[in-house]
Amino acid sequence: MDILIIGLNHKSAGIGEREIVSKKLLTPELRLKFYESIKELKDEAGGRIIAESAVLTTCNRSEFIFSLSPSHTRSGKGHLIKNFISDYFFSPDSEKEDIFYMFLNKDAVMHLFKVASSLDSMVVGEPQILGQIKDAYNESCDFKMAGPALNKLFHKTFYCAKKVRTETKIASSPVSISYAAVELSRKIFNNLQEKKILLLGAGETGRLTLRHFIKFGVRNIHVANRTREKAFDFIEEAFEPEEKKCLNVIDFSEYFRLLPSSDIILCSTSSDEYVLKYGDIMPIIKLRKQKPLFLIDISVPRNIDPEVNKISNVYLFDIDDIGKMIEGNMETRKKESENAEGIIHSIAKEFLEWKESLNVVPVIVSLRNKVKDVLERELSNYIEKKDEKDLIINSITNKILHEPVTLIKKTVRDSDGPSKIEMLKSLFNLGAEGEKDEEAPGNRNKKGSKPSKNHPERIKLIK
Amino acid sequence: MFRDLYLVPLLIFIFSYIFIYLGNKKAYNIFLYLIYGGFAAQSALLFGWLYVNGFNLMPVDNIVFFNAWLLMVVVVLFTLFYRARYILVYITPVVALNLLIAFFAPHNAVKPLAFQGQDLSVLLLHIILVLIGDSIFALAFIISLIYILQERKIKLKKNLKLFNKKEIPFYEFFYLGKGYNLELLDSINYQCLKIGFPLITLGIAVGIYLSSSIFKSFMIAKPIEIISLITWLIYAVLLHERIARGVRGKKAAVFSIIGFLFIVSSLSFSLYLFPKFHGLK
Repeated sequence: MDILIIGLNHKSAGIGEREIVSKKLLTPELRLKFYESIKELKDEAGGRIIAESAVLTTCNRSEFIFSLSPSHTRSGKGHLIKNFISDYFFSPDSEKEDIFYMFLNKDAVMHLFKVASSLDSMVVGEPQILGQIKDAYNESCDFKMAGPALNKLFHKTFYCAKKVRTETKIASSPVSISYAAVELSRKIFNNLQEKKILLLGAGETGRLTLRHFIKFGVRNIHVANRTREKAFDFIEEAFEPEEKKCLNVIDFSEYFRLLPSSDIILCSTSSDEYVLKYGDIMPIIKLRKQKPLFLIDISVPRNIDPEVNKISNVYLFDIDDIGKMIEGNMETRKKESENAEGIIHSIAKEFLEWKESLNVVPVIVSLRNKVKDVLERELSNYIEKKDEKDLIINSITNKILHEPVTLIKKTVRDSDGPSKIEMLKSLFNLGAEGEKDEEAPGNRNKKGSKPSKNHPERIKLIK
Repeated sequence: MFRDLYLVPLLIFIFSYIFIYLGNKKAYNIFLYLIYGGFAAQSALLFGWLYVNGFNLMPVDNIVFFNAWLLMVVVVLFTLFYRARYILVYITPVVALNLLIAFFAPHNAVKPLAFQGQDLSVLLLHIILVLIGDSIFALAFIISLIYILQERKIKLKKNLKLFNKKEIPFYEFFYLGKGYNLELLDSINYQCLKIGFPLITLGIAVGIYLSSSIFKSFMIAKPIEIISLITWLIYAVLLHERIARGVRGKKAAVFSIIGFLFIVSSLSFSLYLFPKFHGLK
């Protein structure tokens, strides 16, 4: 079983490329389509390559987390999957493979832990990413795409992220997108108290940004969301009573009416096309008598046409522009990153040991079945009652195999572990039996089907 | 002898810039004190000269020195009013340049016969009005340059760095800190235009009156008059566009820069190429 991560983020790809990927993963239906397509990816012999998968999409990254089928462990199928993903999102002749990064096993685990701990984020220490990873995991479970390997991996990921947050100062005072948005507006406007803000869409970053603006004295804010009720809920749940006094909900169809009087427009809708275009803003700036207009587009795919920035006295910043400007206290962050790396290393080591032990599960199960078969055959002549017989068989099997199983598990961690396992297989003739039972993850949890070798129930048995 | 004393404020201004590069808040305060100290030295020299010579026409070098002092008065008043002391960093070099020009300028005396009695007072009024107006437009010119650079930075999103409040390096706070925003810069620019334009209009009007009374001609179509008229027209158009059509920002800044370049050329014409017009030998 290999853990493989393929993805692209703000460091490897531009916003345009991220937008293309993001658009094809925007809704759960689109993601399910992707899951089903990648699940069908087969090798030359017709066997499925991917056993489990999860898709993480945020405004800055799209990552695909896979657990490969046991038969493809160390088979070098990563590039095949990478090409498939590249072709899925871009045209085959676009040669976009380079914008995707790929991590395998230890590197993949370390990468996921870093992402969850917000060490790899555009804004180091930002808290949203952990929630987004949880959502990705829950969705993968809902689509029955997660199995024991990803279950364990994600739980270790959450544990690691929490440990990094509590034991380091990495998240103590991040320079956030919302802080950056306020600081940028202070480079344009003299007195924020008098300014009017229009928020399109009701998202987490929008909420944080509005709270920052309110803190700086802005008292006139309008919120427009496609679902009006959601906008009301957003205000009700996310703001303090004092803050609510500054906020007004308007119909999404009415936001155009407010454009000329708004000084700052924040856009964070989940629309896959431009909400504000060049032709929309051009007449508005004339109506505003050339008063500056500050547009912040914190959505991916972008909601505001980048051409708008060419209009005189209009200043447009998208999420990438803001990210490039954020320069935290590099020294402090570097030091805290080193501490966080130590935590990540130790938890990644635990997970990898567990993963390696999972590789010997088929061997242990085969060995156990072999012993059970021998006992079954021999005891059938002497004991007739099935319950009694099974009890004795299990008891003897456990007693015989307790010590060997413990030693096998320890062997896995040794450098010559694989050769010892091979020797064990040949001694007891376990090879054929160990390989014949490979099931697709989707079939594992079907009612009435036999638990697969990696199924948690089986793992529990050998523990 | 007197001109050697110009070096005192000049050296203070130059010396003060060392503290900018030290990069801490204490040094920044020392820089400000030194700038105000330089201004005090300028004032002391000017009033000393007036005490000795009385309120009379100055030689060219003294006029340039007087212009530097007026510019400093304008800048100090604006920085105090707008609480934007950073402007001093950019405008003080212009004041220092004026002092340097004054140090090397010819010590031409005024022609005593051409202007006498009432005409002399009107000439003094003309010079003072035009110089105050020019100083205000010089400030608008510097502000416009800062605006264009800052606007470019924001438009192109280059060299714009944001820092956590606790982590802002001193120099970043100093150059890009609060109050240093496009709206404020544009507002200062507009204010300069609103104050400077009436002064320069009045100055030109007084100049025309002098020209007609002394040279017995209203308009003799010399380059100085044409340039003055063009300068006045530029600022008039800018003021009209700002009031009527709401022109602001980069366009207004470009207008201000062009206008000031015409002021510099008309001043050069009037002081160096046509000294006779102002009673200079």
